[in-house]
Amino acid sequence: MNVTDQDLQYFISALKNYTKYDFSDYSDKSLKRRVEKVLADRNLDVTGLITSIKNSQEFAELIVKEITVNTTELFRDPQTWHLLRSRILPRFKNNKNINIWHAGCSTGQEVYSMMILLNEMELFDKAKIFATDLNSDVLDAAKKGQYKYRFNIGYLDNFDKVIKQNPLNYEEFNDVPYDKYFEIDKAKDTITMKKFLTEKPIFRKHDLVKDGNLFFAKFDLILCRNVIIYFNYNLQNNVFELFHSNLYPKGCLLLGMHETILGPWATKFEKIGQAYVKK
Amino acid sequence: MYKAVIIGGSAGSFQVITRILHSLPPTFPLPVLLSLHRLKHVRSGFVEALSIKSGIPVVEPFDKDQIKPGRAYLAPANYHMFIELGNKIALSTEEPVNHSRPSIDLSFVTAAQVYRDKLVGIILSGANRDGAYGLKKVKDLGGLTIVQDPLECQVKTMTEASMKLTKVDHVYSTNEIIKFLQSIK
Ligand SMILES: C[S@@+](CC[C@H](N)C(=O)[O-])C[C@H]1O[C@@H](n2cnc3c(N)ncnc32)[C@H](O)[C@@H]1O
Repeated sequence: MNVTDQDLQYFISALKNYTKYDFSDYSDKSLKRRVEKVLADRNLDVTGLITSIKNSQEFAELIVKEITVNTTELFRDPQTWHLLRSRILPRFKNNKNINIWHAGCSTGQEVYSMMILLNEMELFDKAKIFATDLNSDVLDAAKKGQYKYRFNIGYLDNFDKVIKQNPLNYEEFNDVPYDKYFEIDKAKDTITMKKFLTEKPIFRKHDLVKDGNLFFAKFDLILCRNVIIYFNYNLQNNVFELFHSNLYPKGCLLLGMHETILGPWATKFEKIGQAYVKK
Repeated sequence: MYKAVIIGGSAGSFQVITRILHSLPPTFPLPVLLSLHRLKHVRSGFVEALSIKSGIPVVEPFDKDQIKPGRAYLAPANYHMFIELGNKIALSTEEPVNHSRPSIDLSFVTAAQVYRDKLVGIILSGANRDGAYGLKKVKDLGGLTIVQDPLECQVKTMTEASMKLTKVDHVYSTNEIIKFLQSIK
């Protein structure tokens, strides 16, 4: 099903008029592709899709969940976690608190990865973890902290790379057992995060397009990884402004491995590796 | 007269890609987009390995990077690489398509929509059918289509699937692909 630019505009207007979501400033190519996928999966054409959005709030909500991309992994991009471990998190070790916001946390693997790393660095108790996403289904999954074992098995490698090995010294090896942090049940095909992890973060629904800072706090570290690739330049700049004004001085913003700040906000940060430090 | 070259293949075509990149002059007038499947757990080091012998710089682009002539853009591991109007790269982490991320089909289709008859699409050796549909789109939109000679390929699935779906313009050996690219002014 080929979606034209005009179709896409109609679709975006329908969502804007009949829901509280505004996708006008999403990146064209990926949004179009997602709409095409929804049409194919549901065997609908654009007119049918728009009519159903107008007729049912619930349907519209479902569609919004389907057009956003929710893929995530435990310790996705180990290099990023090495950077956090060796150069970013140590900056905060003398703080009384470390406030961390995961914006666009999806099903929570990034949040659990962070808590595991913090615990290994003995920073867990100081940390306050806030995690948000547009999609309430992924937040429910994140709160539960239970994942399919088979699907995540490959990512245990990432755990080993970040938690067991020391990239600065390959001789060093810490045999941290998985069950310190999660239970693996191969028969039930589940990985379940331990209670001391699931009960720590504050998960909230939050829309980066229109919501400000939901928490009565500023942050030492904001992670927003693989979210702004779906936004256009304008929306990216708005989001950078939101992050910049809610970071403490010297606070860090971490984007995905292949995301950068392109516009005017770049000058308001210094870079440490791929991390942006507020000047 | 062309505006871009896009190449699809799998980990097995590494040597062919290396040879192709090696043969390109620093003044090569087009961008080269590389959408290649990688081995499951080898996620880094690929771009460095390709760079060593390449005649033009090879980069793993960032999202929204401007595409420039005389450079090779390698789809980063675990991302789809799309081409946007305005000659920009767009990355996405959506689910693998036909078990592949990057998906060669998605890179080829989006490149075809942007460059239309100004695109050269090349499919090399590979182990699944990804790329066949993409190459067809290149052809449908007026671009030039080339497939590596299956006789030369270690694994023929990708090239044969492409030839089945599209009446490709040329079936070339690696040497002929190189000669063709070097003739682009
Ligand atoms: C690809 S996931 C990234 C997950 C994780 N940060 C990672 O890198 O592995 C992108 C997430 O961004 C969320 N998202 C998309 N648009 C959003 C918006 N306007 N506000 C908040 N979250 C959004 C999606 O629901 C999705 O869960």
